[in-house]
Amino acid sequence: MSEAESTRELTMSRAMVSAIAHEMRENDEVFYMGEDVADYGGIFDSTQGLREEFGYDRVMDVPISETAYLGAAVGAAQVGMRPIAELMFVDFFGVAMDQIYNQMAKNTYMSGGTVSVPMVLTAAVGGTYNDAAQHSQTLYGTFAHIPGLKVVVPSTAYEAKGLMHNAIRDDDPVLYMFHKRLMGIGWMPAPEGPKTPVPETDYTIPFGKADVKREGDDVTVVTLGLHVHRALEAAETLDSDGVSAEVIDLRSLVPLDTDTIVESVEKTGNLVVVDEDYRSFGVTGEVVASVADEALGALERVERVAVPDVPIPYSRPLENEIIPSTEDIVSAIERAQ
Amino acid sequence: MSEHDDRVAVTVGEWPDDVESDEGVVVNWFVGEGVAVEDSESLCEVQIEKVSLDVYAPVAGTLTEILRGEDAEFERGETLGWITPDGMEGEDA
Repeated sequence: MSEAESTRELTMSRAMVSAIAHEMRENDEVFYMGEDVADYGGIFDSTQGLREEFGYDRVMDVPISETAYLGAAVGAAQVGMRPIAELMFVDFFGVAMDQIYNQMAKNTYMSGGTVSVPMVLTAAVGGTYNDAAQHSQTLYGTFAHIPGLKVVVPSTAYEAKGLMHNAIRDDDPVLYMFHKRLMGIGWMPAPEGPKTPVPETDYTIPFGKADVKREGDDVTVVTLGLHVHRALEAAETLDSDGVSAEVIDLRSLVPLDTDTIVESVEKTGNLVVVDEDYRSFGVTGEVVASVADEALGALERVERVAVPDVPIPYSRPLENEIIPSTEDIVSAIERAQ
Repeated sequence: MSEHDDRVAVTVGEWPDDVESDEGVVVNWFVGEGVAVEDSESLCEVQIEKVSLDVYAPVAGTLTEILRGEDAEFERGETLGWITPDGMEGEDA
């Protein structure tokens, strides 16, 4: 193996697959199932090459049957396996809601702790590519709202791998929500940011530990997923105007690293929360409320940048209008400081 | 003998049967120019229609030139880069 390979840059999809393959080699109980995950390699390249290495017994294509295969994953997890089940688009969760909300999330509690559900539910999230209302949601808040589900959202290849290692090893159900626009696939180019050097060896990124992606003194920008990169771009834009923005990447919603957010707001006094989910009853409200709970006195100004409470439009200009852009974040930062 | 005769072309190996397009795009190079590579090492990732493929080193040596960088389009059979095999470095051709 060449020396360069140990720190080579990977796309986010490759980094995810690298972690999954490592865990599958180490533990025979890890397997992957979902629609188009074997022969096709995942429609967002989330399983490229796994079937070739591990075969159909451990990388399984399933029919369009979300309730059945997510239920099967819950059952397999409860008897000691470590399934990874891919819900192709998170928007499709509705038909399998009972398996996710009532079985996967609750069986550990309902059984008085006699079973655990060590499974990972992966799902593609997000818009920005004109796939309309049933294929473009993020729904972070929907899943983070229900007790029993850990929810992680990588923003770079480095995080995609570390969070995936942690997710597979976790004894509780983890919802791993990857943004399509970050995956680095040829037909949907990613921004520059998500492609990062990724160590060849395994490593974990703990849940509940946000990452300060950019330090600043004037305003705290809290976000996740794709919008980490847009927030960083906004911060760079304002830097020349003398505005110093701190950008925090949450990395996991459950558990939520309130300490890092509060510490930053106590320094800056101003808070902008950016989210690609719907505005009402979602991530932006939760983050603001958490800061208000713990450090109300430190808060001077608050801005929320999120999707207005409408389904994601198909039309490109309409979609561009409602999904937070770099310019939207720039404006919010300007208002908040 | 031309100076390129000792070099070995990096190309997409087997074009997927179920893909009608004769064009692809380079998504990501895993190694840069001047880096030593092993035989069959994965060099880059390409996308053809919606199929993602690895392109492997045909021989061990040094990746001396990348002709199609990231985001570049290419056609079926086109050379994406050149490898100078081990033992050929520094030889005058």
